[in-house]
Amino acid sequence: MLMPKKVKHRKQHRGRVSGKAKGGAVVSFGDYGIQALEGGWITARQIEAARIAMTRHVRRGGKVWIRVFPDKPVTEKPAETRMGSGKGSPEHWVAVVKPGRVMFELAGVDEDLARAALERAIQKLPIKAKFVVRRQQEGVEV
Amino acid sequence: MPEITLPVDVGRTTGSRSSGRLRAAGKIPAVIYGHGAEPVSVAVDGRALRLALTTEAGLNALLALQVDGTSHLTVARDIQRDPVRGTVIHVDFQIVRRDEVIAAEVPVNLVGEPVELHRADGVVDHQLFTLTVHATPGRIPNDIEIDISGLLVGDTIRVGDIDLPEGVTTDVDPEGPVVVGQPPQVSDEDLVTEADAEAAVALEAEEADADAQAGAETVAEGGDAGNEG
Repeated sequence: MLMPKKVKHRKQHRGRVSGKAKGGAVVSFGDYGIQALEGGWITARQIEAARIAMTRHVRRGGKVWIRVFPDKPVTEKPAETRMGSGKGSPEHWVAVVKPGRVMFELAGVDEDLARAALERAIQKLPIKAKFVVRRQQEGVEV
Repeated sequence: MPEITLPVDVGRTTGSRSSGRLRAAGKIPAVIYGHGAEPVSVAVDGRALRLALTTEAGLNALLALQVDGTSHLTVARDIQRDPVRGTVIHVDFQIVRRDEVIAAEVPVNLVGEPVELHRADGVVDHQLFTLTVHATPGRIPNDIEIDISGLLVGDTIRVGDIDLPEGVTTDVDPEGPVVVGQPPQVSDEDLVTEADAEAAVALEAEEADADAQAGAETVAEGGDAGNEG
């Protein structure tokens, strides 16, 4: 699973996920992608599950890019613990995603197979997302 | 390349709220600048802009904008889009002259079927999707086509291999890759299906049960032997 090698601070505040993606909103490397339609946290496990779902469906012949990285630690208190006594210990890592962000990209396969593979990957994610095609993103929609 | 006439409305109010109202009315806020002229904030009809930029020339189409009775020859230099909906929210029009060399982003299209590459389970890794070229507005190509039918695993087609039309040059590093024939990326581990994985887990569980039972029998036998002794 993806996680940082080293961090400056072990624990972070939760923060807010407001606004739309400032960058990374277009398919830049592959031909097809998964674009977030709402904001949220994607855990390293969910990223890995989505990657496995799409690579298993494509089998041989495709190339996958993961364009989000889980660099935010999430802490949890142990079960049946009284409140207080400080913040819990880091349990897992998440990537903060804003609407519009292209999270995964795929190339080297035809559109039908890419759509099927990426729809399977979308099922592994906790937010609404859609299948996007590079050519359509470069068009002039009004 | 013939220019496309596009009517514009001059004298729009700038700012996010008034721009939002313009977009709701089907217009797109834009700005015209270039050649030392003072930038002019304008609005263009969204439908007319889409028709103008979806011709064969694509986004590099020459546009003649009518501003206060004078016609400006322009190209759409920067098109901003909404990150979620993908709709155009603002356009920069740069004034150009027919005899000056300008820079333009030209799409790079791949043609042909790399049969040998597909036979070897390879992947066409298209790395350069647009090429920045320098040419007069009339000579800018609509697109650049690259034949990949002879591409093999490990082959690279570089910028220097592209045959540009006459009068068109590029500053991009000639050694820069455009298309690479990549070996298959998927590992055997990734190809294990969920059913296979579940079967493997079930088999491991059965083996563990069998080991545990065998261990229990050994302990029981050992206990009996101890009682007998």
